[in-house]
Amino acid sequence: MSSEVQTRVTTEAKTSLNASQRVAVLVGLLTLMFACLPFFVTKPYLLHMGVLLFLAVIQGQAWNILGGYAGQHSLGHAAYFGLGAYTTVMLMEQSQISPFVGIWVGVIVGAAVSYMIGAITFRLRGPYFVLASISVAEIIRLLALHYKDVTRGAEGFLISTVPVLQLGPIEVDFIGKRPFYFAALIVALITTALSYAVQHSKIGYYLQAVREDQDAAHSIGINLQAYKCLALVISAAFTAWAGGFYALFVKFIDPDTVFGLDLSVQILLTCIVGGIGTLLGPALGALVLIPLSEILRNPKGLVQLGLVASDSSVVRVIEERFSNAHSFVYGLLLVVIILFAPEGLFGVLKRLLAPARSERQAS
Amino acid sequence: MQMFLQAAISGILMGGVYALIGIGLTMIFGVMQVINFAHGDLVMVGMYVSWLLFSHWHIDPFLSILLTGPLLFLLGAVMQRGFIQRVLGAAEENQILLTIGLGLLLSNTAMLLFTSDYQLLTTSYSSASFSVFGISMSVPLALAFMVTTIVAFGLYVFLMKTDTGAAIRATAQDREAAQLMGINVTRMSVLAFGIGAALAGIAGALIAPTYYIFPHVGHAFTLKSFVIVVLGGMGSVVGATIGGVLIGVVESLAALYLASGLKEAVVFGLFLLLLLFRPQGLLGRART
Repeated sequence: MSSEVQTRVTTEAKTSLNASQRVAVLVGLLTLMFACLPFFVTKPYLLHMGVLLFLAVIQGQAWNILGGYAGQHSLGHAAYFGLGAYTTVMLMEQSQISPFVGIWVGVIVGAAVSYMIGAITFRLRGPYFVLASISVAEIIRLLALHYKDVTRGAEGFLISTVPVLQLGPIEVDFIGKRPFYFAALIVALITTALSYAVQHSKIGYYLQAVREDQDAAHSIGINLQAYKCLALVISAAFTAWAGGFYALFVKFIDPDTVFGLDLSVQILLTCIVGGIGTLLGPALGALVLIPLSEILRNPKGLVQLGLVASDSSVVRVIEERFSNAHSFVYGLLLVVIILFAPEGLFGVLKRLLAPARSERQAS
Repeated sequence: MQMFLQAAISGILMGGVYALIGIGLTMIFGVMQVINFAHGDLVMVGMYVSWLLFSHWHIDPFLSILLTGPLLFLLGAVMQRGFIQRVLGAAEENQILLTIGLGLLLSNTAMLLFTSDYQLLTTSYSSASFSVFGISMSVPLALAFMVTTIVAFGLYVFLMKTDTGAAIRATAQDREAAQLMGINVTRMSVLAFGIGAALAGIAGALIAPTYYIFPHVGHAFTLKSFVIVVLGGMGSVVGATIGGVLIGVVESLAALYLASGLKEAVVFGLFLLLLLFRPQGLLGRART
């Protein structure tokens, strides 16, 4: 009996992976699952949710580089998202520039603006930085609303069609949800890989030093301004990409949706729910938040998925009473997480799994 | 000149209400060092309470502040005792996030209860005005300014002349020392948050006759009250009063000389400059 346990433990020890390998396996499995999904499920509702999910992962990972690793809690990331969206759409609609070029122009615009904003606001710390980041995004939103002849103001832009993308010999036609699904999945993977790379590089250690104690980091020779700006520029670039992609996918943008404070809060919430400063936190947060808010916004999707009957009272109740409740749920989650699990769901999972593992090792 | 004076005067009247909101926020910050991101939502609650009282029982909004104030005091006290108190020792970011969450809960509860429709509280004098030396003033705003002055003066007397007021000020000055002197700092925090919420609610009730009432109206007030409080120096009641009036005038002049759609952008632009060059506020002294 005891020898049997002994052998099991040793084989387990041999096959057990270290932390980063486990993460890699987990990410790989998740990716494989999501990559295969469209071949089995063709329900547009599910694919739609998938695209929004990956976009949330991209935005969360991007925010996490600045907010999680460098500890600079920006509440103005909607500014970069909106700049990406507006640059892409305005170049397409007003200058007939392909959105597949425009989206990268948007990334450059977002990164450039973020550098300027960073140069100014990173002199501020703690709550002052948070307030400054909100103000910047609000100024951009108000300007976009006011200068109607440039941005069409509150009316916004409606996009009719996205042109065909020519990738060498391959033609990608952005019709239906599938091409968007795969493109967003790939970029979500790239941002996750980038987050891993940052976390395990000199830059990442410097950023974490800045997060723990700015003065101490400065005194050991870290250029605070340079590293905070670097984190912001990387973060803003991916956020701007997500903005441009969102515009092409949803096909409608207006200042309040893409520059609004609600969006900035939502980006940050993704990270808070999952776990700030962790590699998989943003993905976990998005997996919780996006399905939740999509079901509340559009409960008819449940019928399409066959989860509830079309005459079910669930759909009617949600539509009548809770159609605007997703923000309420966001607020509730925020309060509960901060009070009871400030380290996020990732931290909670770790805590729950940790005793099991140490028990196993003890035996 | 006439136009300038007209804009400046209406700015001052509106600024009085801003000052009241700012004083509430600065008291909360002074005593707990917590920036209350739900502050504008408390203004919103005040607006809805006075709208309900008016539309159901025809109670004039300027009278109903006698109810709105205490109600909001209770709401604030509950928020502090039930939620904020638990994170007083936590990281600043977590405190901010908690108040953002509470704000979302308040505004979305209003949304679920009253839908996102714009409500109007139209009194017989909502659009009335009178003129002094050729400058016309809105009756409800002039009344609001008077009430604001009375409330602010009352608060000043309370803080300066009563024992409880002194205890609140002591807690704001040095929490630990105050505790050592036998002051119940938790109770002072609850009081301060309650008073702050009551002031925000009263301000909401005062502008209810002249403003659209909708669940997300609070956003703009939250941001503006930050500007006011930083302008006056965090924690300074006198500073917040001056800051409020200043912001009212700046907004009004920006609307006159630029465009009304840009007045808030101008305020936030000035706020950024202020944060960069005088983060201690116009009246404050640089911390060493």
